[in-house]
Amino acid sequence: MTRSSIAGTCIILALTACSSAPISGGESSPQASELTVFAGSSLTKGFTELGADFEAAHPGATVTFNFGPSDGLAAQIDSEGGADVFASASQTWMDDVAGKAGITGRTDFVTNELVIITPSDDPAGIGSLDDLASPGVQVVLAAEGVPVGDYAREALTNAKIDGAVLANVVSNAEDDAAVVATIISGEADAGIVYVSDVTAEVAPGVRSVEIPDDVNVIATYPIAIVDGSSNTELAQQWVHFVTTGDGQTRLVGEFGFLPAA
Amino acid sequence: MPHPPRTRSTPAVVAGLAAAGAAFVLLPLLALIVRAPWSDAWSLVSSETALTALRVSVVVSLLAALLSVLLGAPLGWILARARFRGRSVLRAVVILPLVLPPVVAGIGLLAALGRRGLVGRLLYEAGIQLTFSTAGAVVAATFVSMPLVVIAVEAGLRSLDERLEDAAATLGASPGFRLRHVVLPLLRPQLVAGAILAWARALGEFGATITFAGNLQGRTQTLPLAVFEARQTDPGAAIVVSLLLVALSVGVLVAMRDRLLAR
Repeated sequence: MTRSSIAGTCIILALTACSSAPISGGESSPQASELTVFAGSSLTKGFTELGADFEAAHPGATVTFNFGPSDGLAAQIDSEGGADVFASASQTWMDDVAGKAGITGRTDFVTNELVIITPSDDPAGIGSLDDLASPGVQVVLAAEGVPVGDYAREALTNAKIDGAVLANVVSNAEDDAAVVATIISGEADAGIVYVSDVTAEVAPGVRSVEIPDDVNVIATYPIAIVDGSSNTELAQQWVHFVTTGDGQTRLVGEFGFLPAA
Repeated sequence: MPHPPRTRSTPAVVAGLAAAGAAFVLLPLLALIVRAPWSDAWSLVSSETALTALRVSVVVSLLAALLSVLLGAPLGWILARARFRGRSVLRAVVILPLVLPPVVAGIGLLAALGRRGLVGRLLYEAGIQLTFSTAGAVVAATFVSMPLVVIAVEAGLRSLDERLEDAAATLGASPGFRLRHVVLPLLRPQLVAGAILAWARALGEFGATITFAGNLQGRTQTLPLAVFEARQTDPGAAIVVSLLLVALSVGVLVAMRDRLLAR
């Protein structure tokens, strides 16, 4: 009995030793520097390409991304840390991280607006936002709590058609990427995503229908350095790169974002 | 009467690793219990979202278990008894959903049974749409659960004493009579075990369901999907609903404990 419990303790100690060793013994060489950026999934395409640009401009630097719904990322940062920079698709989740994990250097760097997408053959004949309220139209939105899902509901409320459209919703998807996938596959008739989601790759597979300015919702994206970042200097350079540098130019010029006000 | 000598003592290493293994499984469950907001637990469990998801889960998982038995048991029979070319290939394919990432299963189901899918487009023209429907959630759950019945029935038939059937045959029993009065009664434990395992697997299905059937309260939002959505808006509710799911699953496994051990 005693011997077996000693063995068990040894194993637990061994496991703990294994897991803590690389962290405590981490002497990073001066050249190699790593930056971990957590970003809302609507930034996936743009940030991935900007990451390559940034690495080319900063020899030795490696940028690693964690893309996902901003709410989920905020929860991860608050409980597990691990992010040097957080770029959120909504102020709500940046506020959340500011209040729990702590941040510095918060700046709004781009804005985004909503658009309706349908399969390219438009099976339900969607010509305007109001058409989403027609009986039988199969609508996919991102789930509540996901920024793009909340913004879409806000736009529907602005247009005073939220009741009828929400009755047409056939699925509350995980995030905007899932909405885009469902529409490209033609399984649903219409979805609401960001303008920036309709990238060059996505555009041939969908048809976009504009949402009038008076009801559309402008999403403002904040970016900030997360407290406890192991590489504040590089983090600042990344923030500078996407807010005013070449990164900003590409985000607005190529990836469908609008400049921050 | 002398006791047999205790030669089978457990080596300390085995005991230690076993303890670590047990702790590894128990710790997350314990953490859920510790972290649950117990003061609100009742109101969270009895919330409309949770109760609706519970109802959808029960309906979907029971129908999936039923379909798994209906289609999986004959498959197990064929694999155990029939002799034909490609049987081992068929066995591998039929069992594949067990190890396939569920999201892949969902994409496959979309390609086959979605309204633009190979077969799904024909169904859609006939006015049947499986995607975003409770029936679609049943299809997704059945797809991943059926292999458990196939495996159980095939193993059961292989271990069956065929002399009993032969005896019935020499006494003039027809194949149908032998099936009902000899094979099925003998096969019952495996059939029940397979059905219960399939039910438990269907109860926990997530990836194939959200990919193929979507996520809509009251229609396709099962308990695992409700947990996933609640995580984003109400982490406390996610933990409480998770515990509800754990309790249901433990119930299922306890119910079949005797059957598993009896063999």
